[in-house]
Amino acid sequence: MEFFSQTYVALRGPTGAPQTAADTIGRLSDRLSPATLLADRRAAVLALKGLARDCKQDVGDRALPGLIEVLENDAEVDADIGKAALETLNILCETDDSASGHGARDLGFKHTDAVLATEKATHVLFTLLGDNSFYIRFATLQYLSTLLQNRRQIVQAYFLKSQAGPRSVIAVLEDKREIIRNEGISMVQALISQSPDIQKVLAFEGAFEKLFATITQEHGVEGGVVVLEALTCVESLLRFNSSNHSYFRETQLPPLLCTLLQFPPAMPFNEIAPQEFALQFWDDNKTANAAAVVRIIGMLLSTKANPAQEVPAFTRCLLEIALASNMPTPIKTQALRLLPTNLNYPLLELTVTPYMPVPETNGEEWDRLEAASALDALVELALHGEYNGLDAAKRSKDGLELRTAAVCVFENFSRKEENKQAIIATMLPAEGQNPKEYPPPRPLVHALIAPPNELDMALVTSTQLAALLFSHLLRASSSRVKSFAISLTPPPFHIAPTPTAGAFFVPADGVAPPAPPAAPEIDDDDPPQTLLQILSENLTLVSLARKRTDNSEREAREWDRLFVAYLSLFSQWLWDDAIAVREFLNAGGLSVLVEAINQTNEADSIIPGLCAFLLGICYEYNRQPGEITRSTIYPIISRLGVETLTGRMTRVREDERFKAVVPDSIVLPYPTPSHHPGLKPEADGEGEIWFDWAFVDFWKSNYFTVQRGLGTDADQLAASSGNAESAMLVASLREVIQKQAQEIEALTSKLGAASTAKSGEVVALEQKLSSLTTQLQESEDKRKEQDKEQEDLLVLLDELSNKRSRDKQRMKEAGLDVSEDEADDDEEDE
Amino acid sequence: MSASWNYVFKFIITGDAAVGKSSILIRLTDQRFLANPDPTLGVEFGSKLIEIPEEGKVIKLQCWDTAGTESFRSITRSYYRGAAGCLLVYDVTSRRSFTNARTWLADVREHADPHLSCILVGNKTDLCDEPAPAGRPREVPTEEAELWAKEEGLLFVEASAKSGQNVELAFEQAARDILDKIRRGVFDDDRSPGVKLSKPVPNSLSLEHKRSTTCCS
Repeated sequence: MEFFSQTYVALRGPTGAPQTAADTIGRLSDRLSPATLLADRRAAVLALKGLARDCKQDVGDRALPGLIEVLENDAEVDADIGKAALETLNILCETDDSASGHGARDLGFKHTDAVLATEKATHVLFTLLGDNSFYIRFATLQYLSTLLQNRRQIVQAYFLKSQAGPRSVIAVLEDKREIIRNEGISMVQALISQSPDIQKVLAFEGAFEKLFATITQEHGVEGGVVVLEALTCVESLLRFNSSNHSYFRETQLPPLLCTLLQFPPAMPFNEIAPQEFALQFWDDNKTANAAAVVRIIGMLLSTKANPAQEVPAFTRCLLEIALASNMPTPIKTQALRLLPTNLNYPLLELTVTPYMPVPETNGEEWDRLEAASALDALVELALHGEYNGLDAAKRSKDGLELRTAAVCVFENFSRKEENKQAIIATMLPAEGQNPKEYPPPRPLVHALIAPPNELDMALVTSTQLAALLFSHLLRASSSRVKSFAISLTPPPFHIAPTPTAGAFFVPADGVAPPAPPAAPEIDDDDPPQTLLQILSENLTLVSLARKRTDNSEREAREWDRLFVAYLSLFSQWLWDDAIAVREFLNAGGLSVLVEAINQTNEADSIIPGLCAFLLGICYEYNRQPGEITRSTIYPIISRLGVETLTGRMTRVREDERFKAVVPDSIVLPYPTPSHHPGLKPEADGEGEIWFDWAFVDFWKSNYFTVQRGLGTDADQLAASSGNAESAMLVASLREVIQKQAQEIEALTSKLGAASTAKSGEVVALEQKLSSLTTQLQESEDKRKEQDKEQEDLLVLLDELSNKRSRDKQRMKEAGLDVSEDEADDDEEDE
Repeated sequence: MSASWNYVFKFIITGDAAVGKSSILIRLTDQRFLANPDPTLGVEFGSKLIEIPEEGKVIKLQCWDTAGTESFRSITRSYYRGAAGCLLVYDVTSRRSFTNARTWLADVREHADPHLSCILVGNKTDLCDEPAPAGRPREVPTEEAELWAKEEGLLFVEASAKSGQNVELAFEQAARDILDKIRRGVFDDDRSPGVKLSKPVPNSLSLEHKRSTTCCS
């Protein structure tokens, strides 16, 4: 008893003395040691939790090791103490606490570092994550999120070493309890961030399947923010991770992405996309989810290696979204931008059916428009904007972004020479057709040649975008495309029933728009104007219009915009195309340029600069005999001053409207630069376009050539650095070829001579050989004959000697004297 | 397309650095030889369909090529648990890699499913067939490796990722072994993480089911 009271006094302190918080915390921390009773420890943790927020420093200093100890030893046994300890630790490590001041943030980091000093605490946490108790799991997730937020890389490194890590995380992702699952998804987002190893190990453990299970359970894109988080997780598992890419494509999940957008992944090519895909109700939530799905589709499309088999379905899905659906404009823009740059999809053959909202129905009723090829729909979208140019006049930034994205897709598509030719071919009259019977005007040409009589915002944008589209066809084209372009003779412009309407009409409305009025009779001796002539004329008209004094600031700016559009197009058309230069000069382009260069308006630097540039191009590529030659232009340039012209050009590069253009965004806020006096956007988010990136790029790479060209004399041809170089190269190569040809010729003749000489020799030898053979044959025969003769003689001799010996015998018998030898001879002679 | 195989088996390829794990995987999936692969960072993935004719089964092998470098070992362990098959690779011209195979096996035994099928693969046999200087002498006799494999209850094959010899066979043998275990009920079809029966993903939308019947490539 004595002992207890003494201990109590010791713990309580001297009676009456006020206890400081530090004392209490110290005492509570001591009680966390495993020697005490579990109930005491629990009470201590709860008390510390109460103090943690107000005395963050003291609690952290004294209690951190004890709390971690409790986590390790008690949390699994007693969920209450585990939960309390986790929550206390979380409070101690929090850094995003807005209520407490700056000091608390630093403390949070300090405590985090203390907890993460060794891997022990993290491993305990990942083991606890496997605990099925709701409070433990939830509190662990929250605490892990806090740690990850503070020191992500350390936690990630520990995770990769922890036994239970991947398994527990997957268990959390498939937890039936929504709160845990959702909290888990956001923790995983932080955990996998920028760690390919963790991404792979989670993919191996089946994270993709679990996440998609959640997405479908939560009603796909219709679902709430958890769907968005799950999709974001999927996205980060895949981004910059080729291993996961290949694994993901192995699974049956990719088609699901199309299905999520209601787009049937296995739809035959010639079928029209179903209406439940094209027309849906959209709210902000669904828009964000769908945008995430589109992003994943785009990412899968962008990998070059082992193209997924879903590529056609994915490409079509993105095209349908942009061209024939009622999805929100930003998603459409995104879909177009995500189409691969080496787009290889039959845009001319694919049929789409765009839609248009029925007026006054608040987007609840839609008209299906006439089916068109995807390419036509794309051009239409670029020229007139969404829904047949419904809001084109407003020129919202979103709308312009979509239209320029369409231009980019067109550019990528027409990069292939064959596609380019196919597009140009649709603009020409059919073969054998009477040139007076014009083909129906293609929307692109139609928008391009729209006469600039009155200022119409929508029309200006259409013409501008048409100029962008057309310049994509001309830039770096083969001579074939260029000759197509120069001979293009569009039918005379007639104003469509409504100035902004495109070429589509609504079949539901019953009748097609009235056939275009017959082209007015043209005098036989007045040949129809070519496209280039019409454009030159329009250039002149605009240059007059922009000088009118009754223009408001806004109107003047629109005229300038149109002027810039024509100048950019001409610069790219006339570049390296002597015939086009001649046509342009013959159509009176020169005076317009000179006049604009001379104009001394401080406010505007772009137009004089562009005109100087174009003048330089006209001078540089003036290589065809014509009325206006280099010698005609030379004095004009001298009078204007090469220095002045170069100065004008330099100022273009300094202009905000030129500088602000970047590859993926050419739409600028209206007005740019923003501190323009007297100009205000008519509506929030109004945008404007001046240049596209292709032109900026073109300018930057050719600016110097033009500048040098301006400084060359009239009789000195081909001054451009690039051309001079290539000319020199060609000349040297030609020389080499010539030399080689001569050498080859010499060698051939030598070879011929040698071979004829050889063949003569061969013939002679052959003859000799044959004669020798016959000689041989003859002598052989002779020898044989002689042999035979000799043999006969021998036989004869033999017979004779026989006979003689017989005769000798007979003579001996007859008693005749027979000589031994001589007689033989004698007898032989007989 | 989704119905064209009966099972999905998850495989891991493990062993010392530079014994040719990535080359074996690339030989299996792409039928080509990688002369100078980068040391694999983390794990790469590849897959291949193989047919076991006598069982009448088509199996999709999903293979994870693990990193051999020591510092990545802790990550590699995470993969062991989820795998149904394991290729334990050593280099027949490196005694050291064979000795280390014991450590790898211990690691596998500790962390993997006890029923996992493991095949010991002696790689780079092509090197000892070639004369020096291109070739290298063999340091691990076939008999010794075979004996050790038998002691440890491992399947065994010698292979060459360069010539392609026996590479597919190694995977086939392991797959046969797993199929056998499935038949005997050791692997409880869908419950083992490394083995999956082929059927539509349970949570896919209805359109997905339609697709699997109409679209077979």
